[in-house]
Amino acid sequence: METGSDPARPDPFALVMRVGNALRLSAVNVPARRLGLDAGMTLADARACVPSLLTRPADPVADARALDRMAAAMARFTPTVGVDPPDGLILDITGCAHLFGGESGLARQAMALAGYGALHALASNAAAARAMARYGPEGEAEGEDGVRRLPLAALELDCDALAALRRAGLRTTGDLARLPMRAVAARFGEETVTRLRCLLGEAASPVAPRPARSPIRMEARFAEPLIRTDDVLDVIESLLVQAAREMEIRQAGGRRFVVELCRSDNARRGLMVETGQPVRDCAVVLRLLRERIETLADPLDPGFGFDSVSLAVLRAEPLPSSQPELGAGEGRDAPPDGLAALIDRLSVRLGPQNVFRLVPCDRHLPEKAQQPVPASRARGIAWPVDGDRLPRPLMLFDPPQQVEAIAGVPDGPPQRFRWRGRLHDVRLAEGPERIAAEWWRKRTGHFPGKAGPTRDYYRVEDMAGRRFWLFRHGLFAEKPDPRWYLHGLFA
Amino acid sequence: MPMLEPGRLHEVFVQGDDRAAGMVFALCRDRERCGEKVLLVRSGGSLRFCGEGLALMGIDPARCTFVAVKEERDLLRAGLEAARCPDVAQVVLETRGRFAGYDLTAGRRLALAAGQSGACIIVLRCDAPPRSSVAWTRWAVTGAPSVPLETDAPGWPAMEAELLRWRGGPSGGRWRLEWDADHGTFRETDRAPAPVSGAVVPLSCVREGGDGDRKRSRAA
Repeated sequence: METGSDPARPDPFALVMRVGNALRLSAVNVPARRLGLDAGMTLADARACVPSLLTRPADPVADARALDRMAAAMARFTPTVGVDPPDGLILDITGCAHLFGGESGLARQAMALAGYGALHALASNAAAARAMARYGPEGEAEGEDGVRRLPLAALELDCDALAALRRAGLRTTGDLARLPMRAVAARFGEETVTRLRCLLGEAASPVAPRPARSPIRMEARFAEPLIRTDDVLDVIESLLVQAAREMEIRQAGGRRFVVELCRSDNARRGLMVETGQPVRDCAVVLRLLRERIETLADPLDPGFGFDSVSLAVLRAEPLPSSQPELGAGEGRDAPPDGLAALIDRLSVRLGPQNVFRLVPCDRHLPEKAQQPVPASRARGIAWPVDGDRLPRPLMLFDPPQQVEAIAGVPDGPPQRFRWRGRLHDVRLAEGPERIAAEWWRKRTGHFPGKAGPTRDYYRVEDMAGRRFWLFRHGLFAEKPDPRWYLHGLFA
Repeated sequence: MPMLEPGRLHEVFVQGDDRAAGMVFALCRDRERCGEKVLLVRSGGSLRFCGEGLALMGIDPARCTFVAVKEERDLLRAGLEAARCPDVAQVVLETRGRFAGYDLTAGRRLALAAGQSGACIIVLRCDAPPRSSVAWTRWAVTGAPSVPLETDAPGWPAMEAELLRWRGGPSGGRWRLEWDADHGTFRETDRAPAPVSGAVVPLSCVREGGDGDRKRSRAA
């Protein structure tokens, strides 16, 4: 796999790393390889061969991180994904291939997901697949024959052992496999035999999959049912302490906590709280849970008592443990009381949709140009400020309020309008700003006249100095008697 | 003109149609707080904030958190919690009508919380008669006729603010504020310039005709 390869620009390209006192190529792309370059060459030699060589400094840490991300992405094909550093992945696709249209289909999809110029091979064991991907010729027959036709370099022995094998007249692994193993071991070393047996599948070459994280889940069962809610909260607190310990070990913090209460008559009650920031502090979560219980539509009815209580952290995010500061003895244990905590508390009490921020949307209609997003989920998105645009009001009516308006000329601004029974005489008016309906969102919108009414917006000021945003819903060409609506208030 | 000081409770009274003006007064009065976090608590209604409109008045919508509540009790509670939060620089509570729950006790609580956290708490009261409270300042804000642009288009936002009560000094002032687009702030201007007199036929002091004759004879 080549980091940074760009399929649109097939120039020879290489990553360069300082090894010892020399700059050496650490990876090359396919055009560079065709020109005779290879990893391990010094940069000076490579430049002498290919003066137009493009280079970038290698970044092994970023490579490892990218490989990790890729391994996580491969989890959609198989649960057993092993990382083969520095640049390989091993997927155990036993029993998974039929879901993706066979082995070749799976390989194709995996290559597409990987997104780099990658090579792949399929074999009956991990070592063989690895060797064939790295040393086998492309498009070669796979399986047992393919392994036996690999060059001896596929054994990845040191230079001396490899030279000894070559000197004995051996060319491929198949040549070596035909010899009696005892003699091979005596002459070329134990290591050669071990590698060969791994390739041929006679010895195990296990894949070390990335461990799947077990969910954080705590449970408490009681000999006698609990009746009082306070007792239940005490139990939840002790579960939270356990969960916090577990999360501390994993260096994670919970974003979503679910408590399930099982009643003795088998009724189950779930309580869920979400936080905007990863949290490990029991007091914070307990406070949110108390909020949640207080705002339940029907109160927590213990009935004949709760038999068991379970707590699960459904969503966790990385949260490194912070080092307590010296000299901050009292303030240290105080719960964090920032805006995030406030938003969490309000979201739990009032519902997440009622504590929101506004996020811009790329739409024309003024009421659709923004969207409320729960504040715990909203990330800071910059609002585009365009000085050339006509001003928008501070507040919008949703839905727009119908008004009775009289315009001087059919397509002109209103001269007076009646809103909520009060008559407003228009002193100043600006417009129209014509906003067409979003015809592309309607099934038959592209036919003439089917897109929906166009709006003509006017910014008007009445005699008392109030500024309104009015629109006429529809052109006179579109409908005979278009109505007027008040859509917003300017400051 | 007194500022809306941080760490104090302020009240702004507006009539229904002037809500936008009152809201802008509450949000934009002081430029120093323009980078800080704002929490707006309002009872849900048909009127929503428009992000582009906020951005136009120099308020970044990304730093505004909106809280929609259904009941007065929730509004006061959310407002009080926000007032206690040290991260929030400004809390605006928008209320409509009588708002019975907002009594002297509730106001005192808000004022104390503001004093502790240093937040500026503004209670925007729509369609409510001013009554005694513990607020540091009390304002009545109405929209004011703007200076028209060249094409007879409505000009920059303008409003009239009347100081009804000020604990730190004399009350009773009245100011006309107009948006200064160059500096992105409101500045005080003279009262709306008197309309230039057009061509009007002057009245003579002695009127002709029967009516004038009668008056003259009575005066004699």
